[in-house]
Amino acid sequence: MGYLTDSFITAVRLIFSFDREVQLTVWTSLYTSSCSILFAALFGIPFGLWLGIDRFRGRRLMITLLNTLMALPTVVVGLVLFGFFSRQGPLGSLGLLFTPWAMIAGQTVLATPIVANYVLAAVSGSDARIMDTAFTLGATRLQAAVQLLKELRYGVMAAVIAGFGRVIAEVGVAMMLGGNIRGTTRTMTTAIALETSKGEFAFGLSLGLVLLGVALCVNLFLNLLQQR
Amino acid sequence: MFRPYLIVLLLLLLLAMPAFATEHLRLATTTSTENSGLLAELLPPFEKVNDCKVDVIAVGTGKAIKLGETGDVDVILVHARSKEDKFVSAGFGVGRRDVMYNDFIILGTVADPAGIKGETDAAAAMGEIAAVKATFVSRGDDSGTNTREKQLWKATGITPAGDWYLEAGRGMGEVIIMAGERQGYTLSDRATYLAFKQKTPLRIVVEGDKNLFNPYGVIMVNPAKHPHVKVALAQKFIDFLTSAEGKRLITNYHRSGEQLFYVK
Amino acid sequence: MKPVISLKDIQLTRGENFSLSVENLELLPQRIYALTGANGAGKSTLLRIMALLTLPQRGRVNFADAEGEELSRQRQHVTLVEQSPYLLDGSVADNLAFGLKLRGIRGAEQTQRIKEALALVDLTGFERRKTKKLSGGEAQRVALARALVLKPNVLLLDEPTANIDSKSLQSFEDLLARLPAAGATVVFATHDLALPKRLKAEMLHIENGKLLDRPHRRAESFDKTQTENSYGTIL
Repeated sequence: MGYLTDSFITAVRLIFSFDREVQLTVWTSLYTSSCSILFAALFGIPFGLWLGIDRFRGRRLMITLLNTLMALPTVVVGLVLFGFFSRQGPLGSLGLLFTPWAMIAGQTVLATPIVANYVLAAVSGSDARIMDTAFTLGATRLQAAVQLLKELRYGVMAAVIAGFGRVIAEVGVAMMLGGNIRGTTRTMTTAIALETSKGEFAFGLSLGLVLLGVALCVNLFLNLLQQR
Repeated sequence: MFRPYLIVLLLLLLLAMPAFATEHLRLATTTSTENSGLLAELLPPFEKVNDCKVDVIAVGTGKAIKLGETGDVDVILVHARSKEDKFVSAGFGVGRRDVMYNDFIILGTVADPAGIKGETDAAAAMGEIAAVKATFVSRGDDSGTNTREKQLWKATGITPAGDWYLEAGRGMGEVIIMAGERQGYTLSDRATYLAFKQKTPLRIVVEGDKNLFNPYGVIMVNPAKHPHVKVALAQKFIDFLTSAEGKRLITNYHRSGEQLFYVK
Repeated sequence: MKPVISLKDIQLTRGENFSLSVENLELLPQRIYALTGANGAGKSTLLRIMALLTLPQRGRVNFADAEGEELSRQRQHVTLVEQSPYLLDGSVADNLAFGLKLRGIRGAEQTQRIKEALALVDLTGFERRKTKKLSGGEAQRVALARALVLKPNVLLLDEPTANIDSKSLQSFEDLLARLPAAGATVVFATHDLALPKRLKAEMLHIENGKLLDRPHRRAESFDKTQTENSYGTIL
């Protein structure tokens, strides 16, 4: 069957027709992923930095836990947060379930361990003289840590890219917490799942190609930032 | 280094805000209404008149009712009469109204190993399938279709089990595809089957039994239990579905030249 | 005279093979000290302790006028230039500006001090050069300039001549020799026993992690004229 060629043609047509529905889906994917990676960076970078620099009791255990969290299935995160955000749950009165904010929260939970882990790895592999140099020039711990982060910016960027890759490609959290609502919480991945369940395989696959293209553009953009 | 990046993201955040401005009505419904394309036809006129947005969460009937119980939606549009009645009598929902109906059908391959083609008694046909242990793919997801399937098994007095009985745990479309690939039988609603007709070798083997009648009902989540339910908008929506215009839109909706839903 | 830095009852043990102990060491202002000893004797570790980078298990390091200040403030009295220094990513000027910024020195004054410090190490005009593209000797001198620009009370140098090519060695030694008069106490670790002699440094000797009890003057003492405690005369 011409299934693959069909979907490729559909994909090209989809991209160049600037279909409103597709645009909205791409946009939803992009902004929920961007917001969640922003929050994940806000939590994950300092946390990874702290774990990488400080030596304290229970640090190894914490690193092990962090590694375990990296393997967290998206549907489990979705399920747990569903319990929190549902009207019956502790945060129910906020009415966040099936809004982009619930998705952002879930994706932040997914991406934070990844960002923290990559930053931790970057710090662990970094030159021990960086902090000492900052100290001997008169820096406080915080100033030295900030300097370390600047020196490790490629590693930090890699952390952000890895986290972004995970959230833009995941479907479990987006589906469970977002509800795949057309025009509001329908992301590229949940749209693919929907089109597949409708039997529109070609359309689903072409959305997959669009997703690939969008991810490529985002990575090119981040790459550009990195080279500045 | 990170500053321009942050600014871009904050901008994204701000741009995302207007999406939450208009009033939203949360509708949990079955996949069949969404996947058949009916809602895409039905909702825009309602949204336009009432200046609102209907957020459709398309899940199985079981899950949709659950979302109503927990108050995570305002209205449910489902098709499992026994469950709907339980939902209302337990005080979770109010004012159930009939909206439309279509029918279930039993699908099978042309080879028809159970020899049930043309059978008019659905339960008897299911009994035949079990007797020859022909492959049967069940939704297995507590959906409206799954509920009906269980009722039919109950009528035959058989508890389906064994390697011929596959519980997929997936949506109707996937199950039709799966049954086609496994050369088995399955119970489907007519609307989904029509949408998948071109993609599956399965044909209708049993139809027309009154036990295959498939009515859809709309129920408002009880505001006494969940005060945040948007009563006024939900009522308008229910009135719209059962109005002359709603009925006209439902009746006029065709796919591949066939009418998918009927109103009384 | 009040010592600029004093170490008391320092004890540091690392594993089974290394321990360092210093009973009492007081370094006087505006002197130059040479720290000698075999490889692994503990020269670098002692310098790191004096730089407050390594905290000993026991004992205290005190700086004149810094009592009761927090660690990061105390560190601003002393600067260590390591044997193979790390230069921060960016330009030479970025490196020199780092410590100045932490001390609140910005703008024209910062630019001026960077210029002067680079001139001292014969790297005039190197401000915009990227640190990644410097030669080993240039990097060593940038690190020295990065320390000098801060005008520390105590300047610690670990094998400062190791990466200096013979061509620049003379001017480098001249620079070191002028530092005490400019207000600094200099301690440098070295293998080269001729260097302390040429610089008329006071000798500190470590053997097997033990600092021989008193600094003694093997090199000929030089006349120290008390100047104001600043780098003003050479900068």
